[in-house]
Amino acid sequence: MNQKNNLIIGLIIAGVVVMSVNVDADPRDFAEGLPNIGIMLKEITEVDSSLFVTAFWSMLETIEMAFIGTVVGVAIALPLSLLAARNLNNKFVYVPIRALLAAIRTFPSILWAILFVIIVGLGPFAGVLAIIMYTIGFIAKLQYEAIEAIDADPMDAVGAIGVSKIQLIRFVVLPESASHLLSQILYIFDYNIRQTSILGLVGAGGIGFYIINYIKFFEYGKAAVFMLVVLATVLIIEWVSVRVRDKYIVKSQRGMQIKS
Amino acid sequence: MQEQKGESSPSISSLSIVQMNGVSASYDSKEYVLKNIQMSISRGANYAIVGQSGSGKSTLLRLINGMMSPTKGKIMVDYNIPNPSDKKFKSLMHKIGYIPQNLGLIKNSTVLENVLIGALPRVSGFNSFFKKFSDSEIDNAKKILKQVGLQGKAERKVYMLSGGEKRRVAIARALVQKPEIILADEIVSELDHVTAREIMEVLAEAQATMKLTAIMVHHDLQLALEYADRVAVIKEGEKVLEIGVEGDKIVDFQSGNYTQTEILEMFTNESKE
Repeated sequence: MNQKNNLIIGLIIAGVVVMSVNVDADPRDFAEGLPNIGIMLKEITEVDSSLFVTAFWSMLETIEMAFIGTVVGVAIALPLSLLAARNLNNKFVYVPIRALLAAIRTFPSILWAILFVIIVGLGPFAGVLAIIMYTIGFIAKLQYEAIEAIDADPMDAVGAIGVSKIQLIRFVVLPESASHLLSQILYIFDYNIRQTSILGLVGAGGIGFYIINYIKFFEYGKAAVFMLVVLATVLIIEWVSVRVRDKYIVKSQRGMQIKS
Repeated sequence: MQEQKGESSPSISSLSIVQMNGVSASYDSKEYVLKNIQMSISRGANYAIVGQSGSGKSTLLRLINGMMSPTKGKIMVDYNIPNPSDKKFKSLMHKIGYIPQNLGLIKNSTVLENVLIGALPRVSGFNSFFKKFSDSEIDNAKKILKQVGLQGKAERKVYMLSGGEKRRVAIARALVQKPEIILADEIVSELDHVTAREIMEVLAEAQATMKLTAIMVHHDLQLALEYADRVAVIKEGEKVLEIGVEGDKIVDFQSGNYTQTEILEMFTNESKE
C-alpha cells in the first residue's frame, strides 16, 4: 500500500519535470530575470497620488459591475441548479442542464468579455454580461453539488408525508442548502470584483482599463495607485464577508461560538 | 407474488389496519432482511416491534409506509394500498405519520415551520411556495405544539433544541398530518430514562385523544412491555415471538422456534445497560 503511494508520488514529480522541459519552464530564466523585479518595485513606489480620485470612481464602477453580475447570475443559476440536481430530477432533465452548464463553464470570463464586446460594443455592459455568464456556470455547479449532498433523512421524512416536489424544494432543499449558498455567493462576489478588475484588458469597462494602459506604457507609479485601490477594496470585502459568514453560516451549521 | 411457507395465512380481517402475509424483503436481492413475516395489527392498537440492531425492524416500518416494497408476500394497509406505485398512493401518504430514527427535521428552520410541514398536503403549491398557511392551520399547529409540551418555543430554530425537544417537534409534525397511523423508529433509544418516559407519555396521550394506531420500534423490551399492548420480537429478520399485554399481565403468547426464557435472555443484557 505504502509502496503504491510512493510510486504515485514519484510519477507525479517525474511528470512535472518532463512537462516543464516541454513547455520551456526553465528556473534559470527566473533567476536571471530577478533584477527586473527590483526596477519595477522602485518605480512602483513612485506613487502618483493625483490619480486617487479617478481610481476611486473607476473602482466604484467595477464594484457596481460585479454586484449586478453576481445578483443576476445567482438569480439565473439557482433554478438551473434545482433542475441539475440528480436527487430531484430524472436524467432527461438533469443531463441536458448539466451539459449546458458545462458548456458555459468552458469559457473563462475574459473570453466571455471578448464575445460580448463584439456583440454589445465596448464598455461596462459587456463586462457585466461576462460576469453574469461566469457566475451562472460557477454557482449552479456548486449549488447542485450542495443540493445532492443534503442530508437524506429530512428528504425521506418529508417525502413520506406525500408533499409535492415544489413543497419539498421550498421546505427542505432551500433551507438545508441556504447556508452553503450564502457562503458561495460571498465567495463569488469577492472573486467577481477581482475578475472585473481585469476585464478592462479587453475594453469591457472597470478599473482594469487604467491598470493595463499604464503598465503598457511602463508607468508603474500610476498603475500602482489603481492596484492599491483594488487591494484595499478586496481587503474590505474580505472583512465584511467574514462578519457575514460568522453571523449566518458558522453558527447555524454547528451552533458554535467564535473566539474573537 | 403471493407466497407462503409453513404457517397458515390469516385472511384480512376488518379489525386490522395493517396486515402482512408472508412478507420478505431485501435491499440487494442477495440476503433477506425480513423473512416470511406474518403480522396483523388491529385498529387503535399500540403495537411495538422489538429487536436488536440489524434485526430488520426499521425495514418493517419502511414497508408499512410504502418507502419500500416487499420482495415477496403482501402488505395490506387499511385503505387498501398494497402497492406504492398506485396513483392514489401519494395522496394517502399523509395518513401515516412517520418519525424516522434521525427525526428528519430541518435544523435551520423554526419549530413552527417544521411542524407546518405536516400540513403541506392540505396547502396549494402556490401558497406553500410563499410559506402562506391559513390561520386555522397555524392555530392547529400551535395547539399541537402545546399538546406535546413545546408552548412558547414556536419561533426557536431546531438546532438550538435539546434531544427531547427535537423528538417533540417530530411528534408534532406527524400529528399535524392528521394521521391514522403513527410509525416511530427508536424514538427514545438515545434518551435518558426520565426523558424517554416523558416522550412515551406524550405519544400515549396523543394516541388516546386522537384515536391513532401506533406502531413503534424499540430497542428496549422492558419499555415496550410497559407502553404497548402488543409486542412483536424480531430476530435476524424473523418474527420469533408475539406477546399481548394487558396492564402488566401477559394475555397471549405466540412463539416460533424459541422458548420464552430464551427470548427474554436475549434482552436481559441490553436492558440493564
